[in-house]
Amino acid sequence: MNKIRSFSLTPYLFLMPALIIIIVFLLYPIGAVVYYSFTDYSITTPPVWVGIENYQKLLNDPIFWKALQNSFVYLLVTPALIFISILMAIVVNRKLPGITLFRTLFFIPVISGSIAVGIAWRMMLDTNGIINSILMTIGMIKDPIQWLAEPAYTLGIAMLLTTWMGMGYYMMIFLAGLQNIPEELYEAAELDGCNAWQKHWVVSIPGLRPQITFVTVISSLAALQVFNEIYILTGGLGGILNSGVTVVFYLWRQAFRLNHAGMASAIAMVLLVITLLFSIINIRAMESGTEADA
Amino acid sequence: MSTYKSSDAFNGAKLHQWFDNTLVYILLVLVAVITVFPFLWVFFTSFKGVNDPIFSVPPQLLPSSPTVDNYLRVFTQLPMLSFYFNSLVVTLTVVVVNTLFGALAAYPLAKMKFRGRDAIFYTLLATYVVPPVLTSIPSFVLAVNVFHFYDKLASVIFPYLSGVLTIFLLRQAFAAIPDDLINAARIDGANELQIWWSILLPTIRPSLATVAIITFVDQWNNFFWPSLMLHTRANMTLQVGLVALQGAFANDARGIAAGVVMTVVPMIIFFALLQKQFIAGLTGAVKG
Repeated sequence: MNKIRSFSLTPYLFLMPALIIIIVFLLYPIGAVVYYSFTDYSITTPPVWVGIENYQKLLNDPIFWKALQNSFVYLLVTPALIFISILMAIVVNRKLPGITLFRTLFFIPVISGSIAVGIAWRMMLDTNGIINSILMTIGMIKDPIQWLAEPAYTLGIAMLLTTWMGMGYYMMIFLAGLQNIPEELYEAAELDGCNAWQKHWVVSIPGLRPQITFVTVISSLAALQVFNEIYILTGGLGGILNSGVTVVFYLWRQAFRLNHAGMASAIAMVLLVITLLFSIINIRAMESGTEADA
Repeated sequence: MSTYKSSDAFNGAKLHQWFDNTLVYILLVLVAVITVFPFLWVFFTSFKGVNDPIFSVPPQLLPSSPTVDNYLRVFTQLPMLSFYFNSLVVTLTVVVVNTLFGALAAYPLAKMKFRGRDAIFYTLLATYVVPPVLTSIPSFVLAVNVFHFYDKLASVIFPYLSGVLTIFLLRQAFAAIPDDLINAARIDGANELQIWWSILLPTIRPSLATVAIITFVDQWNNFFWPSLMLHTRANMTLQVGLVALQGAFANDARGIAAGVVMTVVPMIIFFALLQKQFIAGLTGAVKG
């Protein structure tokens, strides 16, 4: 039996292929990026140690503060997604002819990929696009609006796109949650005189608590990492007056457009700290949630 | 219930039910229009000829005389077949190897006692919160200076051959298998590799499918890293190629629409064929 053998290579051999890849492409880069963040580095020439200079520059960089602000604003997609997806889940959670078809249709944006979908949106929002065409036809606007050239709209449009792409996915998660809630709870609420909407308020929402926590965690972490939507909608420029620049977009610009790998690494460290704080807050919320349930 | 067809109460309830259902269908159609309209619009636009306007008041949705000219233009100006081929090679290689490596690593983490197990497990767990974009800078340096696979397909394959999420999901699946099953096989003289391959892998097939589908969608739609690595058109994957197309066809909305359709259609067909597995797979990772 296994226990007799005091030392065996077997488990390490099983782990080896995966660990080699993870060490080279994940663990080493994490260590390297910490070091780079303290250097002046342009990738083509070797890094030069500059201490905390990159961080000091960041503190005095108005675009970086703008990026931080935009990334925090972007977190508003999380409550929007939760609200919309729960409503959608409640609507599709019934046995009606054709309901599976609708669930499928709602899921299509999830699998289509943000690049193709982003380009489609960009074309629709073009000054000569279908959105302006529809709005002018129904008389809501007289002249076409330059949706993508207006700094005030950039971030909002990207957030709408993120929400549109994600809502079918989160709907499915909430739907699975709803189907786990015992029917008796709804019957009891009905006996207590609740109407259809009150039933959902007192039974569905508390019953969906684990899913709400889960969706909060993953959608807020995803919101902090947004890049593709911004890249496509602003044509890789970040929007007029940096209106669409988020932390990850700014990291990308510093590293791969301006060749400031050291500065970009410092931004990466800030992003890491924000992500860690978020994860801790989210995990705390999750723990207190389960305690309250027990 | 149907025996009381004539009762007023039942007719009232039936009417109420009918009213409810109509309301639900109206809502469903409304949401479906919101989620599907961009696809339909791009689809119709891609078949418009030069005489059909992209912009008009009121809008013209359907092409008056559908043409495949836009597709032909895209095919002659860009190596679309290479894009498809590259995407397919990258996606399939990563799905197979990532699942295989993950399944190998997950077994000892779930079912064996050995030195360093907890250290390895918690290190992997800790890396899970690290934003993927963070590693892109050193990975770029590695690709250019060490591995010299910049602008080669290998650069977008190797970093994804193993992933922490795959290992976690499969570790959970292995952990659910009773120890007795494994011990019985050991007594029968099977070695660990035989046990893994012929006893454990078949039992965790649903989890393998979940992992494969998550990896498939992720890889097919992957853009950030491939866009940093692939610059020669013939080496591009579909997503990177689509952005190149968007640049090359800057004033040609019909051509871009054709490119979008060609990028999206394979995934939608695949999804349509395997709907249940897709939805269960992508949302199934949640339960952990």
